[in-house]
Amino acid sequence: MSEPTLEAALARLEAIIEEIEGGALELDAALARFAEGVELVRRAGETLDAAETRVQQLLADGEDWDLRPLPTDG
Amino acid sequence: MSWDLFSSAASESRNAALARSVAARDTDLFPMAAPRDGWTVAAVNAAARELVESVFPPMWVTGEVSNFVRARSGHCYFSLRDEDAQLRCVMWREEARRLPTTPPDGMQVRALGRLSLYEPRGEFQLVVSDLDRKGEGLWRLARERLRLQLDAEGLLAAERKRPLPRHPRSVGVVTSLSGAALRDILAVIRRRAPWTEVVVCGCRVQGDGAAAEISAAIRRFGQARCADVLIVGRGGGSVEDLWAFNEESVARALAESPIPTISAVGHETDITIADLVADLRAPTPSAAAEAAVPERGELRRETAALARRLEDGVREHIAAGREQAAGLGTALVRASRAHVADRRAALVEAAGRLHALSPLAALARGFAVPLAPDGRVLRGVREFAPGAAFQLRVADGAVACRVAP
Repeated sequence: MSEPTLEAALARLEAIIEEIEGGALELDAALARFAEGVELVRRAGETLDAAETRVQQLLADGEDWDLRPLPTDG
Repeated sequence: MSWDLFSSAASESRNAALARSVAARDTDLFPMAAPRDGWTVAAVNAAARELVESVFPPMWVTGEVSNFVRARSGHCYFSLRDEDAQLRCVMWREEARRLPTTPPDGMQVRALGRLSLYEPRGEFQLVVSDLDRKGEGLWRLARERLRLQLDAEGLLAAERKRPLPRHPRSVGVVTSLSGAALRDILAVIRRRAPWTEVVVCGCRVQGDGAAAEISAAIRRFGQARCADVLIVGRGGGSVEDLWAFNEESVARALAESPIPTISAVGHETDITIADLVADLRAPTPSAAAEAAVPERGELRRETAALARRLEDGVREHIAAGREQAAGLGTALVRASRAHVADRRAALVEAAGRLHALSPLAALARGFAVPLAPDGRVLRGVREFAPGAAFQLRVADGAVACRVAP
């Protein structure tokens, strides 16, 4: 999955904020982090707006396993 | 020993009726004539067995267990006793397998069985099919024994409880595909955190083999790592329905799960071994789903707060930069001003020195310079021809002159 998970995005956002609040960054580095943070906020917002829960079924496949969409009753 | 027929509601009068029916059959117990040499032991025992089995219906018998033995074959042998009497009992392997644990000596139980006679020994016995399913003593005992064992191994320790991820991408669910628990969990996740993926591993949650299926499903999630948190549970039911969640295999699978677990078995009041081992015990499947995923609005507020902090942080950075730049500017101006002043002083001094060297200064002191008409300075007597005109330069101008003839 190339998109960071919401968990990862929020953790990164928090790290960025702490770095910026720490005040040790050069201004241009702080601005670069800010741009990254704004993007993370935007993507987190998009995630939160997602409409449909995907439901999968974990199936045994011999020793192995498999994921298939679970037909939902709606 | 007290016993009753079919149900605990059976009364003394039914017992009396039974006694009368046995007495009524007295006359035709052995319809064929006795053989001349007398009955063989085997024939007597077989006839007695037939009689006993045909006359007595299945019955619940209450008493104290004594000498409970599980043979290597899996069959169980014990006695039921009270102050006055005892009754030999046998429980065949198939039925005995369903016992949650072996009852200790002296435990008060209820046994459902049919009276019979063990022909090789001529022993009267109760063939028990069910023990204590109504009372919960044996179940409670089994649960307590397992709890003590797991506790001794440290598997119930508070330090083992792992925190749940705050924003799981994927929630695993181990439950029946057809149960209300799954519906409840999906409804809560769709409402609170619809971006979350749900991965379900269906399994039976009650009856023979349920515990094995539940623990296999938990292990499969551990293998597949396709969930960030795992809900294991089912909706409400009787103690017996929930029993799989009190079995050791489920407890061990939960304890070994690399994924943090939430148990959600039955209703608020049902506490199972699974609840004690899981990282979090939720009172119901819906509550488990609520514990597993954050609420959308709450998360929006949280994200907005982070965005504000981000902006404030960078604004502060910019303000600090601006302040620094302003400070530097002031210093620069001050420095350059000082520089100019220095130069000006140097210039004044140089001008003074220059002035001191200027011939104008000599003129000011009263000296005069004679200049030929062509502007040459006349430096000696020989340059003054008699009658020749020249200029005498003084401090404030020139005077026309002529050498005396």
